Amino acid sequence: MGILHTFRPIIALFYRERRSMLLAGALLAAVTVLAGIMLLGLSGWFITATAIAGLSSATAFAFDVFAPAAAIRFLALARTAARYGERLTTHDATLGVLAGLREQLFRYWSRPQSARLLVQRPSRLLFRLTADIDALDSLYLRVLVPAAVAIVTALAVAVTLGMMHPLVGLGAGTFLLLTGLGVPLIAARFAGASSIRRAHALEALRSRSIDLVAGQTDLLMTGRLAAQVEGVAAADRRAAAADSRLNWIEVFAGAGLGVASALLLGGTLMAMAALASAGAINGPVAALGVLVALAALEPFAALRRGAVELGRTLLASRRIGPSLAPPSPPLSRTAARNGDTVCIANASVTHDGAPLPALHALNFTVADGERVALIGPSGAGKSTLLALIAGELGADRGEVATAKSALLTQRTELFQDTLRDNLRLAAPEADDAQLHRALDQAGLNELVASLPMGLGTNLGEGGLGLSGGQSRRLALARLLLRDAPLWLLDEPTEGLDGATARDVLQRLRSAMPGHAVVIATHIRREAELADRIIILEHGRIVAAPRRGEKVFDTALAALRPD
Amino acid sequence: MGPAADASLALRSEVSPADACTVGESTRKPSSSLPIDKQKPPARVKAAASLQLAPALLWLPQAWLLAMAVGQIIAGTDWRNIVWLAVGVVALGVLRSALDAAGTRVAFLSARKSLSELRQTAIASLARRSPLDMTRPASGLAASAITEQTEAILPYLARFQPARLKATYVPLAILASIVPFSWVPALVLLMAAPLIPLFMALIGWRAKAASEKQLVEMGSMNGFLLDRLRGMTTIRVFDAVDLTADRLRANAESLRSRTMAVLRVAFLSSAVLELFAALGVAMVAVYIGFHYLGQLPFGAWGGRLDLSEGLFILLLAPAFFEPLRELSSVWHDRAAGEAALAALAELSDQGIAIVGGSDGNDQNDDDNAASVSIEALGYSHAARDRDVLEDFDLEVKPGERVAILGPSGSGKSTLLALIAGLAPLENGRIVIGGTHLTSATADQLRNRMIWIGQRPHIFAGSLYQNIALGRPDVDEARTNGALALAALEHVAEAHGNLQLGDGGSGLSGGEILRLALARAAAGSGKNLILADEPTAHLDTVTAREITEGLLEIARGKTLIVATHDPILAARMDRIVRLFPQIAQEAA
Repeated sequence: MGILHTFRPIIALFYRERRSMLLAGALLAAVTVLAGIMLLGLSGWFITATAIAGLSSATAFAFDVFAPAAAIRFLALARTAARYGERLTTHDATLGVLAGLREQLFRYWSRPQSARLLVQRPSRLLFRLTADIDALDSLYLRVLVPAAVAIVTALAVAVTLGMMHPLVGLGAGTFLLLTGLGVPLIAARFAGASSIRRAHALEALRSRSIDLVAGQTDLLMTGRLAAQVEGVAAADRRAAAADSRLNWIEVFAGAGLGVASALLLGGTLMAMAALASAGAINGPVAALGVLVALAALEPFAALRRGAVELGRTLLASRRIGPSLAPPSPPLSRTAARNGDTVCIANASVTHDGAPLPALHALNFTVADGERVALIGPSGAGKSTLLALIAGELGADRGEVATAKSALLTQRTELFQDTLRDNLRLAAPEADDAQLHRALDQAGLNELVASLPMGLGTNLGEGGLGLSGGQSRRLALARLLLRDAPLWLLDEPTEGLDGATARDVLQRLRSAMPGHAVVIATHIRREAELADRIIILEHGRIVAAPRRGEKVFDTALAALRPD
Repeated sequence: MGPAADASLALRSEVSPADACTVGESTRKPSSSLPIDKQKPPARVKAAASLQLAPALLWLPQAWLLAMAVGQIIAGTDWRNIVWLAVGVVALGVLRSALDAAGTRVAFLSARKSLSELRQTAIASLARRSPLDMTRPASGLAASAITEQTEAILPYLARFQPARLKATYVPLAILASIVPFSWVPALVLLMAAPLIPLFMALIGWRAKAASEKQLVEMGSMNGFLLDRLRGMTTIRVFDAVDLTADRLRANAESLRSRTMAVLRVAFLSSAVLELFAALGVAMVAVYIGFHYLGQLPFGAWGGRLDLSEGLFILLLAPAFFEPLRELSSVWHDRAAGEAALAALAELSDQGIAIVGGSDGNDQNDDDNAASVSIEALGYSHAARDRDVLEDFDLEVKPGERVAILGPSGSGKSTLLALIAGLAPLENGRIVIGGTHLTSATADQLRNRMIWIGQRPHIFAGSLYQNIALGRPDVDEARTNGALALAALEHVAEAHGNLQLGDGGSGLSGGEILRLALARAAAGSGKNLILADEPTAHLDTVTAREITEGLLEIARGKTLIVATHDPILAARMDRIVRLFPQIAQEAA
């Protein structure tokens, strides 16, 4: 079946992570429901039996009240205990599965290709991912557990009524399974398309709201502000239409189950009346049968919401499922031969969906300890070349051999974590003394010394906010901690004021000996660090002058001063 | 009732990606202008909720018929005489389902309508909020409040309100129906009902503080994942994927065990509800049984219950607790719903508004370059403690090209924003092409302006859509013309009709500025260009190309450029130097 196929990776994950707890949770849920049904049925039997016995004082005296009364109290306690156990088990299991799910998702998105997608559309992908994770946690709690409970209930009711008359049991069981599972399944089928429409409408609502707020000035000045407001409203109307349809489905499913419940109750009542008047069962048993039928459809009501959410869950597992497949081998990196740190031969790179290659049959070497600046107009391929050397990108053709590298990215990404762990990302084994040394070299020791928590200070949201210059210095400290013979610097001082930029560059320069360095830049002060300048245009190297050559100075002079 | 009681609570509190990067609740400025009743559900929602009372109350006659029918069976009546009772039971059941469906539907419709209205209000006031208003919410925060957070409003209005109403009235109606037969079961239920909230409060209280902290941490589990995904480039660069994945797992596992420690207590409060509900039913059943046997003869107002009456009471006992259980299962909807209502109300704050803002759609047919005359302008909103502009005068002749040159903080961007009517003036006046800039004329005046910001926004859409922006007067020919003028053909070749990346990722800084030029060139009927630091963050070659493009577009139009780039300023007819607080004119 299609549904099963879609859910297979998710269910496999559930099974791998917490199989026994998941089963125990479903079992306890079934016990809870059965205890409830038995409690009501037994109470009915007890009342009826005592009412008959109470008609004469002799029978009233002989009636054993204690066994049924104790059983009733036991069922009440059992139901409570089972319910408590069920909630603990199902939650523990779900939390465990979600922990595993997060780890797997993270690993998936760390693959080069998916990581690139993530960089391009972080906001939309992350929104989608969160929504999908949230949808998946309802799969077990709202769909799988209630379905298991419903089936167990139907069987139990069939057996109970079947002991009175096989046909009644068979009929009631069949009716319960057909309507109790059939109605939610039909609802789930109808809900699928609307759930998807709703998810898309919400994505549109979100991205249009972002466009409205972030692009407000551009919209206002082009006379499109009102149109954008209307666009947001239209997305909400689409979401409302989908919501409304889902609500119709839920309402119909609820009404369907309600009618089924009434029919089952009426049918059982008549069957019990017929059996009693035929003398096949006595009065108390008839009362028990009626009350069991009354309680029988209760667990199916839980499936009504689960059915409507099943559509959303399907979409989520269709999108997340593939990320749970075993990872493909990482991009292999060939070591460069002796004497060279980077050796690129005849390499071409084309970005996905782009008709023209970003790099054309490029030949490029960097000798050990050499410093090279990449310059060229924006879009010439500087960042692509850096990504190729760093191993973030693979070449479509040609050969790439590089040493282990450390990349100083254009944007400094700090994590919501301690200063220590932010630094140790680059060197997991580094001790505090090493970290302090790196911070000192990067010019951050004063700041860190002034922090009461020192290296234990939290960064990011709710923690310490760093200025642009300070985060750059932190990135520099990370670079220094990294034990790599090749440094790749992507516009290392862009966006810093002149004084800070010169200080950062001075610190970089003094730490450079022993490393080969490739700097992508359009600023003169950065390119001045280099022994050789590579001028890129349209993905090709057009010139590569060395220090001392005339072209070198001309190229430097054409760059932006401070 | 213990808000921490519900099962789904623990798993539903995970934060959304945008939440993860917003400021915590405590640091947010409380909005004092907000009327309190804005956070309360609208009246029609309450009216719709009352519709759902009917099916719950109809259980009374249905249970009565059922008890009668069982009584008849025991009395040995022929099954044919019970048919009508059974038909009545079924008919009432069907009626209850129909009424319940209608009630759910109406409650949904009114709740959904409220949600749309609340969203509209928030969106409209966000659109009017001046970009110079420092308290204007960031786009991520606003989008998250409008999209994810408001999703909690629907369950709150459509489910919680009816549940609360049922929990208030249905138990009372049931008690009132039991008392005439016997006061003992009524007393049992009455005792159990107030004990439930009491015990739940006692247990829930202690758990609540701990569990709320825990829920915040649960949210941080998603936050941790999203934070690391956002910084994936850095993690990959340092080969720290395995390290981070293991930490992610360890964090989630330790969070799980800590959460379970809290849930073990929190779930006790819901177990108490279950226990009392089950014991309530059991005690009612046991009392009735002993009553029949003559061991507990009191209670029935001196008489004796018959079988049907006893069964009727037994059938009502679980129904007495049902609304309470329903309420407890939707309890978490309330906290989330009220938080969402408050967040929307905060977005709907007025703050500083832009001037005009209703998109005058009438085309400007005045092709002559506009003059700009600024008299005694004063403005201080954007700066915290000092005036940005004070008593500032400027005359720009039609067709003149003027550079406003000054360091950052000198107010040159604010000046440009004020000419565009992005915030109301505090002092002085601005006259453009002979028309005084007021809220009545602002939209019409903006129709003649071109705005080129230093960070043009890239909208979700293709390159072509980003140039045309859906303007009715910008057809394919104009878009292609603008593309050529801004030298963007190679980008069009590379990206074609593909959607551009978030915030223009994949485009270089120069390409984004060229896109802004193309956007500017595509419009028609413009005669005043306002450019805010168009060459900031660009390399010299690209800056020169952007300058040429700007001058090309500005042919025959008035141009005012705010910049700190001396090369760009030198290409203008005149340079006006701005210093912090002092404006002085130079040749």
